[in-house]
Amino acid sequence: MEKLIIEKTSDTPKVILDYDNGKIEISERSLPENAIDFYAPVIDWFNDYSKNPNSDTVVEFKLEYFNTSSAKQIAKILLLLQKLAENNNVLIKWYYSSSDSDMHSSGIRYSKLVKVNFEFIEIK
Amino acid sequence: MATTEFENLKFSLSLFDAMQKDNLSYVYRGFFNQQITDSILSLTEVNLQTEEQSSKMKKRVYAIMVEGLQNITRHQNDTANKNIQSTHGLFIIKRNEDKYYITTGNATDKKSIPVITKLIEKINSLDKDELKVYYKQVLNEGELSDKGGAGLGLIDMARKSGNKLSYRFIDINENDTYFYLHTIPTLKDLSTDFNKVAKDSLDNIVEIHNTLNKEDIRLIYNGVMNQESLKGLLQTIEGHLSDSADQKNKMFYIVMEMLQNIVKHASNPNNEEGGNPGIFFISENNGKHLLTAGNYMKNEHVKELNDKIKYVNNLSDKEMDDYYNHSLFDFEIDDSKKAGLGIIDLRLKSGNKIGHFLKEIDNNYTFFSLQIQI
Repeated sequence: MEKLIIEKTSDTPKVILDYDNGKIEISERSLPENAIDFYAPVIDWFNDYSKNPNSDTVVEFKLEYFNTSSAKQIAKILLLLQKLAENNNVLIKWYYSSSDSDMHSSGIRYSKLVKVNFEFIEIK
Repeated sequence: MATTEFENLKFSLSLFDAMQKDNLSYVYRGFFNQQITDSILSLTEVNLQTEEQSSKMKKRVYAIMVEGLQNITRHQNDTANKNIQSTHGLFIIKRNEDKYYITTGNATDKKSIPVITKLIEKINSLDKDELKVYYKQVLNEGELSDKGGAGLGLIDMARKSGNKLSYRFIDINENDTYFYLHTIPTLKDLSTDFNKVAKDSLDNIVEIHNTLNKEDIRLIYNGVMNQESLKGLLQTIEGHLSDSADQKNKMFYIVMEMLQNIVKHASNPNNEEGGNPGIFFISENNGKHLLTAGNYMKNEHVKELNDKIKYVNNLSDKEMDDYYNHSLFDFEIDDSKKAGLGIIDLRLKSGNKIGHFLKEIDNNYTFFSLQIQI
């Protein structure tokens, strides 16, 4: 399946959705005015991916900041991954800066709300 | 109409009055560095782009700002008393009708008064052509101060403004004085009433500065609220060195949500292009930051927002958590204009109730302002 790479801007994240190399990562900042539009192709990709996933799926969130409208789109992605995790190995790696307790809390919140394995990684 | 949780209420109202009068104002008071300077320039650029028709004027305003900001950065440490509030550097730009008023301020040693006065008086005594000659002369003779050419900067500001430089010294204590430099760039010659205009507007700036010091206000933005100005304001917050990393992060999140709320929900009574008008300011109070944002909204939406804030403010921690989780996975309201997750996020991240204040303007619009303490 085709990979989807979106370069970062000052208010949208870098997105790497690479099936062949098993690399799925969303990083940097996500504060777009219209998060629904930005995440639509990302969510489409996850939908396609779920039809024919790799044997192990690792999704890395390395966000520096995200706004609440992005939070909902991330929730959508996590719901897709929860569905995928019913029959597949899925791991979410949630990175947070040691100086950003809110990013840590956000990850913990998600991990309690969806049935997917989370690993929390602190960045110094 | 006001809630008791709202602090600087009087100040918010006076800002609101100013908002109706001025098309743009930006105030920053504190420590200046490259990031702060860049953020101020990019914020002003957003407003210049949307408002200013003349590209000649745009360039002049920009050039004067660059010089002025460099001056503050260079001279902000010219006083021994760095820790007292009244010595913070100051940058103010205001736009009223067709005129821009650009002011920089910094504390300096009283001993430098004669040197600065002599230089500005010399510049002000020269006409356009003489200034050009003088600029070259200073450049060639290398008559630079040890700080790297403040003299040239002043000459350049005078040339770009097309008017005389206004200035004032106001004593801080027995050793220090506060130096204000005030520039009003115009394309037409204003010389007949210029002195009066400049004196009045500088009086007004000094008065504003007193309020800023008294209320410990760090930043005021009054202008177009769109995604670009939001990014500019966030950049200012990142450049704000005095805060700890954790507090800076928190501030970033909260300002982002407050302003995005304006970008998405504000109305525009004047139908200006490029975004809705809004104000935002940061003040400090006993080590706490007060963040205040205000905008116009249609009267018919006021009750809903008001109810929502009251509802969120009255939730217990547990209820708030549940409500947040519910909203996070409620994709139905994605496309609506309902303020769901944003409002509750403000309360959750700040750990405080949301202050709010409203004032009905006419049959169609209300000025609505939110305040968060962190």
